[in-house]
Amino acid sequence: MSSDSGHRLRRRARSAVLLAVSLALAVLTAPVPAFADTYVPIDGAGSSWAANAVNQWTTDVKQYGMRVTYAGNGSSDGRQRFLAQTVHFAASDIPFQQHPTDGSSPENPTPNTYAYMPIVAGGTAFMYNLKIGGRRVTNLRLSGPVIAKIFTGGITRWNDPAIVADNPGLNMPAEKIVPVIRSDGSGSSAQFSLWMQNQQLSIWNAFCAKHSCGLGATSYWPTFAGAIAQSGDLGVSGYVAQSYAEGAIGYVEYSYAINRGFPVAKMLNAAGYYTEPTPYNVAVALLKAKINTDASNPAVYLTQDLTDVYAYTDPRVYPMSSYSYFILPTVTSKKVSTDAGRTLAAFSYFFECQGQQQAPDLGYSPLPINLVQASFDQIKKIPGAVTQNINIQGCNNPTFSRDGHNKLVDVAPQPQACDKRGPTQCVNGTGGAKSQTTPSKGGTRTSGGGGSTTGVTASGSPTPGASLRYDPATDQYVGAGGDGGTDQAVAGVPVALAARRGWSGEQTLMLLAAAVVLGLVLAPGAVSLLLGGRRSR
Amino acid sequence: MTAAPEPRDGDPTVAVISDGRDPAGVGRPWVPAGRPATPRRLRAKSNAADRVFRGGARASGFTVLVIMLAVGLFLSLRAAEALKAVGFRFVTTQEWQPDTHRFGIAAVLTGTVLIASVAVCFSVPLSTGTALFISEIAPRWMKRALVTLVDLMAAVPSVVYGLWGLFFLQGQVVGLARWLSTWFGWIPIFAVDGADPTNPLATASVYTASTFIAGITVSLMVAPIQCSVMREAFSQAPPGEREGAYALGATRWGMVSAVVLPFGKGGIIGGTMLGLGRALGETIAVYLIISPVFQIQPHILQNGANSVSALIALRYGDASGFGMSALMAAGLALFILTLIVNFTASSIVARSRSGAQSEV
Repeated sequence: MSSDSGHRLRRRARSAVLLAVSLALAVLTAPVPAFADTYVPIDGAGSSWAANAVNQWTTDVKQYGMRVTYAGNGSSDGRQRFLAQTVHFAASDIPFQQHPTDGSSPENPTPNTYAYMPIVAGGTAFMYNLKIGGRRVTNLRLSGPVIAKIFTGGITRWNDPAIVADNPGLNMPAEKIVPVIRSDGSGSSAQFSLWMQNQQLSIWNAFCAKHSCGLGATSYWPTFAGAIAQSGDLGVSGYVAQSYAEGAIGYVEYSYAINRGFPVAKMLNAAGYYTEPTPYNVAVALLKAKINTDASNPAVYLTQDLTDVYAYTDPRVYPMSSYSYFILPTVTSKKVSTDAGRTLAAFSYFFECQGQQQAPDLGYSPLPINLVQASFDQIKKIPGAVTQNINIQGCNNPTFSRDGHNKLVDVAPQPQACDKRGPTQCVNGTGGAKSQTTPSKGGTRTSGGGGSTTGVTASGSPTPGASLRYDPATDQYVGAGGDGGTDQAVAGVPVALAARRGWSGEQTLMLLAAAVVLGLVLAPGAVSLLLGGRRSR
Repeated sequence: MTAAPEPRDGDPTVAVISDGRDPAGVGRPWVPAGRPATPRRLRAKSNAADRVFRGGARASGFTVLVIMLAVGLFLSLRAAEALKAVGFRFVTTQEWQPDTHRFGIAAVLTGTVLIASVAVCFSVPLSTGTALFISEIAPRWMKRALVTLVDLMAAVPSVVYGLWGLFFLQGQVVGLARWLSTWFGWIPIFAVDGADPTNPLATASVYTASTFIAGITVSLMVAPIQCSVMREAFSQAPPGEREGAYALGATRWGMVSAVVLPFGKGGIIGGTMLGLGRALGETIAVYLIISPVFQIQPHILQNGANSVSALIALRYGDASGFGMSALMAAGLALFILTLIVNFTASSIVARSRSGAQSEV
C-alpha cells in the first residue's frame, strides 16, 4: 500500500517537472503564441477564383492561432457583404463597380474607408471535357475569336471549321459544345467580358444586343440557349468534370482544373503561340499589366488595367491573366475592431510574404516584388495593424531577385515549336492532365522533344504493343506517348451513324416488354375473374 | 387485426355522458327525480395547473399566428418598393434584372410549380406504397424499424440530398431522361430542344440540370412527411369495418381498397398537399442541381430550370438594396402560394372522415 502511494507520488512529481519544463520551453522558444491570445476570429467573403489560394492560407495561419473563415461565393457577393459590413474583408477580382455599364446598380463604398491589395495572380483557364473515339483530349488549342464565339453561342459544334483550324492534330468530333458559365455574380465573368470587350468587340456587342447585358464588363454572364449556368468556380469545374458532361467547356481559375485532373485549352496569344496559364506564362503576361500608382486616390490605387496584357507579343504570354484583390477596411466600424484589424494585418503579412511560395503549386502565380512592397504599405492602413519589419528577401517568393525584376520571367520556358500556330500540334497534356498525351492524327504528329518528354516521364517502358497503360487515377488507359507511331491507331476518326427513324425493332421490343409486364400483373386477376364468373353461372 | 374496438370519441358508448342518460340505456333518467331532464351542465373547477396550461397553450398558439403575420408583413413591407416600381408586370415578366427594373416571377414561379409537380408525381406513389406497407402488411418488428427509417430520411439535411442529386443521381437519371425524350418527345413537356437521339456521340448534358432531376431529388425529401401523414390516416381506419370486410370474405387487398383507402383519402390528399407545400419551398438541393434560366421552360427533361427559392439563394448575397426588395417580392409570392396550398389541403382534409385525426 505504502509503496504504491509512494510510486504514485513520485510519478506525480515527475509529471509536474515535465510539465514545468515543457511550459518553460514553450515560453522560451515560441514567441508567436504570446500573440495568439490577442488574435480574434475574422471572416471574409468573395472571389471563388482566388478561393483555392485563400483557403490554403487560412489553413496555414491556424498554426499561429489565427482563425480566418472565408466564403468563396463570388466577387459580387464579397463586395456586397463588405458594403453591408458583415465581413472583415472581401476578395474581389474587380474593384467596386461605381459606374457599372451592365445595368446593375452602382456600388457606392464610403470614400477612404477601404483599400485594394493584390493577393495573387492567376489565369482564367478554359477547362474542358472532350473525348475523341473514347479517349480524352488533353491538348486542345483555341484562338480568341473561337473562345468568344463558343461562350456567346456562335460556335456550337466541336468540329466547327474554326476549331479544326486551331487543332490540325485532332479529328474533332461532330459533338455539341456545352458552354458552362457562371450563374452568380462573378469576377471571372467580369474579367472574361472585359477581355471580350477589348479583343472581340463585335462578337460581344452582337451578343449583348440580344441578351441585354449593357455595353461594358458584366459580372452576370447572360444565359443563352445551350449553355449551362453553375454557381462558383467549384460548380463550373464540378459540372465539366462529370462523365455526362462530355463536350462541356467552362471558364475557371487554373487551379480548379488541376484539382479536378482535367486539361485546359491552350489559348492563342498575340505572338501566335498557344499557351497554357502556367505560373510562368501568367507572370510574363502580367509584366504588361498597368497598375495604378496614384496612392492619393485609394479608390483606384493598385487596380489593374489589362489592356496591354491582351496584346503583349512575348510568345510565353497567357492572355487571360489577372490579379485578384483583397478589399481591406481602413477605418474601424461596427464590424471591424482594432483587434480584428490586427488579426487581418497579420494574416495579410503572412500571405503576402510566405504564402506566395505556395502559389505555383496551387495553380496561381506569385506576386512580383513591387506589388508585395505596395501591399505591405496597404496593410499599414488597416486599423490596429501591427507593422512588421519583414526582410522582403526572406519571403522566398520565387519572383524576387536582387535587382527587383521578376525572376520568374527569366526562367519561364519558351513555348515549344509545335505550339506555334500552324500545321503541327503538341501532343502533351495540359492543366490537371499533364501526364496524358493525346496522339495526333497520322502525318501531322510532331516529334517535338518537349512533347515526348512529358509523356515519357509519366509512362512506363515504351515497348511497342504495350503502349497503353492503365491509369488508376483517371480510370482509363493512357498512351505511352514516347514512342511514335504505335498509338496512332487510337486517334480514330469518329463516325456518326444515322439511326433509323420511325418504327423499328427497338420500339417493337419495348412494346413487347410493356405487354409482358402488364400481362404478368393483370393476367392472374383476369383469369380468376373469368373462372369465378363461370363457376357462379 | 382482431383486437376489440377501443372506445373513441363519437362512439355511442362514450358519448352518453353529455346527454344526461345512463350508459346502460335502460331509459331511466340519470338526474334525480323531480327535476326537468335538461342536460347537466359540466362545471370543472379549474385549478392553477389547468389555468397555466391553458394560458400557455393559448399563448403559443397566438405566437405562431403572430409570427406568420409578422413574416407576411415583413415580406410585404420589404417588397413594396419593388412592387411599386413594376406593378402588375411583376407577374408577367420572365427576366430577372432588378437593377434595370425588368424583373418578374413568370419564369421562376412556373419553374417552382413544375419542380414541385414532378416531385409530387414521384413522391406520392412512393409514400402511399410505403405507408400502406407499414400500416397494413409489415410485421410488427419491421414496422418499427421502417418508421424509424422513414423518419431518418426526413432528418437528412437538404444540402446532402442536393450533393447526392448533383454528383450521383444526375448521372444515373440521364439515361431515363434520354429514353423518355427519345420515345415520348412528341408530348410537349418531354421534348428536348437540341437533343439528337440519332447521334450516338451526342452529349448527355442537354438532359442534365433539369426540372426533372431537381424534382426527383425533391421528391425524396418530401416523401417522409407525406408517408407519415398517410400512415397516420391509414392506421386509424376503424377496426370494425376492417373486420367486417374480412368477414365478408375480402382478401387483404380487398379490405385495403374497400376500407383503408377510402377512409384514408383525406390523409392521402392532405399528405400530398403538405408535401407539395414543402416541395415549393425547397431551396438548396434545387439550387445545387439546376442551371438557372429566366424564361418559362416547360420542357422538364431539358437543362435549365428555376425556382423562387433557388433564385433567392443565388442572388441574395450580391443583391443591391432594390434587388433585395425584388427578391423579397418573389419570396412574398412564394409565401402566398404556399399558404394557398396548405389552406386548401387543410380544408380538404377537414371534410374527410379521417380528417379529424390527421396532422394537417
